[in-house]
Amino acid sequence: MNGFLRFGLLLAGLIVVLLLTLAAFQLPIVDSVKLIFDGAFSDKFAWSRSAVKMTPLLLTGLGMVIAWRAGVYNIGGEGQFVVGAIFGAAVGKGLIGANAAAIPGGSLLVLVVCAIGGALWAWIAGWLYVRRGVEVVISTILLNFIAIQLLGFAVSGPLQEQKRQVPQTDLLPESLMLARFDRQTDVHLGTVLALVMAVVLTIFLYRTVAGYRLRLVGDNPKVARVNYIDPGRVQLSAMALSGAMCGLAGGVEYLGLVGQLGTTFPQQWGFLGIPVALLGGLNPMLTAGAAFFFGALFAGTENLARFTPAGTTIVYVIQATAVLAYVGLNGLRKARPKPEEESASTPS
Amino acid sequence: MDMTAKSGLHVENIVKRFGTLTALENVSASFRPGEIHAVLGENGAGKSTLMGILSGFVVPDSGTVMLNGNPVPVGRPFDCKRLGIEMIHQHFTLVSEFTIAENFALSRLPGLMSSSEVSARAEPSLAAATRLGWELEPGRRVSSLSVGAQQRIEILKALGGDAQVIIFDEPTAVLSPDEVEDLFRVLRQLKTDGHVVILIAHKLSEVLSIADHVTVLRRGKWIASAPIAEVDERKLAEWMVGELPPPLPERKGTKLVPGLVGQDLTVLGDRGEAAIKNCSFEIKRGEILGIGGVDGNGQLELAEALVAVRPVAGALSFAGKQVNAEEMRISYVPQDRQHDGLAMGMTIEENLLITGHRKPMLRKGPFLNFRALHQWANELVKRFSVKANSPADRVAGLSGGNQQKVVVSRALDEQPDLLVVVNPTRGLDIRATEYVHSKIQEARDAGAAVALFSTDLDEIYTLADRVMFLSRGELIADTGAESLLGAKA
Repeated sequence: MNGFLRFGLLLAGLIVVLLLTLAAFQLPIVDSVKLIFDGAFSDKFAWSRSAVKMTPLLLTGLGMVIAWRAGVYNIGGEGQFVVGAIFGAAVGKGLIGANAAAIPGGSLLVLVVCAIGGALWAWIAGWLYVRRGVEVVISTILLNFIAIQLLGFAVSGPLQEQKRQVPQTDLLPESLMLARFDRQTDVHLGTVLALVMAVVLTIFLYRTVAGYRLRLVGDNPKVARVNYIDPGRVQLSAMALSGAMCGLAGGVEYLGLVGQLGTTFPQQWGFLGIPVALLGGLNPMLTAGAAFFFGALFAGTENLARFTPAGTTIVYVIQATAVLAYVGLNGLRKARPKPEEESASTPS
Repeated sequence: MDMTAKSGLHVENIVKRFGTLTALENVSASFRPGEIHAVLGENGAGKSTLMGILSGFVVPDSGTVMLNGNPVPVGRPFDCKRLGIEMIHQHFTLVSEFTIAENFALSRLPGLMSSSEVSARAEPSLAAATRLGWELEPGRRVSSLSVGAQQRIEILKALGGDAQVIIFDEPTAVLSPDEVEDLFRVLRQLKTDGHVVILIAHKLSEVLSIADHVTVLRRGKWIASAPIAEVDERKLAEWMVGELPPPLPERKGTKLVPGLVGQDLTVLGDRGEAAIKNCSFEIKRGEILGIGGVDGNGQLELAEALVAVRPVAGALSFAGKQVNAEEMRISYVPQDRQHDGLAMGMTIEENLLITGHRKPMLRKGPFLNFRALHQWANELVKRFSVKANSPADRVAGLSGGNQQKVVVSRALDEQPDLLVVVNPTRGLDIRATEYVHSKIQEARDAGAAVALFSTDLDEIYTLADRVMFLSRGELIADTGAESLLGAKA
């Protein structure tokens, strides 16, 4: 299939870029590649690190896929990620107070609330766009800043730990955390959830009427309009769904890994989801592949950083290249001449 | 004697092809100073291409252009301007955020400008305004001017230099009757001043009232040139459209039942202007109303209002009830397939689904029923002979004609109550055109009310049971066209 071929080529290109980057950092290439590979794949610990890094990347990447496929360029994954987690932490605080162990499905409740929080945050930008014509790119970036400030306020105000010493929330009890498969590694249920979401989103986009409408609106909103599909409504729902996915990513990070929110909670997963989605060609299954690639790269370059001065910055170089490659490929496709248009008035 | 033969603008044996389409085929013509020379033709006749060549924007494949006995370099707009060939574009070339004086100064090329130069450079244009009796405020922003006033700025820009030839591209299309009168006064003034005035037009009455000489193009070919005294409307119409189509055979046995009725409809365009003004009409079920007229006279807006995707003021009803896309079956073939008709990033099948996804047969709850869908798409592609390997191909890979077939097949898949088609056969070959025409007639005979918008008079007179014309947002009865075309039948 065309999409898979393109994905493979992009991936191969990015690996070449990786080699060039290593050379630019004046690192011994063979040794560095081995360090990266070991860090990502050498044993179950390395594999689990790759998977753990992949998880938030995949969820935010899927969030970008939904919005971008509908033609709304959500750049606010980071804010939606953070606000989702804040919503979840509010519920988490309540659950701690109410003796969490007594409430079955407490983690599920927190995850759902996280998704709702992210959806609301994205919905603001969606509403501004559909009803007021405010560019989503601008509003979502600005909402990111507000979200970060909101987090600072929450963890030093209403959601702060009971001791009130550090600007962070109380650590969630183990019973509320997502299940882990192995005591020695960090891989948690959230990883499975992310992969399931990729499948669900694939079915939604390509198999359902609603998903078809969403793709149609993204491809040509005017065609949708003259066929009685309101592009604004579809785009607003797409934004909300996109935000829900990013909020869920925040929740999974919160419940799966860190267990508490502090000012260091935002790790840019919301931004990093964009190159992941673009490398995946805005296709959910390929996005899963792209998320794994970048997750492994993060895990691998962390290992590299232990032995060399260059660290995870390399990942950002690769990511930037992925975005440029995507933009370049699209530019090329647009520049390619269309089949010859025939005469405006046909002799008859 | 020799001098007069050489003076003026002469084009000889101009050939211009765009791909397989021949836009101009061996066209020759002479435009003399002190004369208003109208170039007449239907849409696609090649008028604009010819003017593009004269003003240097289009490079001809072969042929020469001579001004006062000297060759004009082709394909070099700056040089053409320097030689004194100026064009008044139909779509203005003004910087709307600049003042009038700044726009004048900008058109005097080349060189950088400081703000102190603006008034000096704008001077010739302002002087021309005084000469023509127009009052201007040079400091006013162009964006605050009416369309008619903007056209004056466009004309004055051209007069700011040493203009010898002035080409007007359908200048009356955007003007009110009073403004047209004033424009004609200016055209006559320019003629008396000894300019070569070329007027591209499609309205016969205007041409007859203002021009001294007329040249008619049809489908890229030179048809005739004559002094205005030697022609009349009938003659010009014959030259423009060629053989008149045979009258429609009388249809018998189809019962006409009440269909679409519009009364005093007003529709706003995208910029908030009244694109359709107080139009009234009726289309019975089992009837095709042909709506002719040149592009941009409100066709798009009226068509979108009829299919209920654009708000409309006035009374629009179908069989006594409000037009409602959910209760009745409306089919629409939009004017511009790439903008309004197709999702170019999707496959043929997905493009057919644009209407098909509402069919219960193709759905299974919230899901698409792919087995039924493939079968349905395959049949449709076969029925309308869309040339593609498979319905799973991307629609962007199809030729223009085949893309149009996708749009038309989608619209005519099921029997509609109301069918609105805009230039349905644009880009189709003869066989496909006949097929689409027969399908439209079939839909009509099965009881659809059909609104056929077309810029192709042949098409309208072949298909329509009644004909109206759209002109500047107003619907006018066919009487004008009857006289335009001479006695029909």
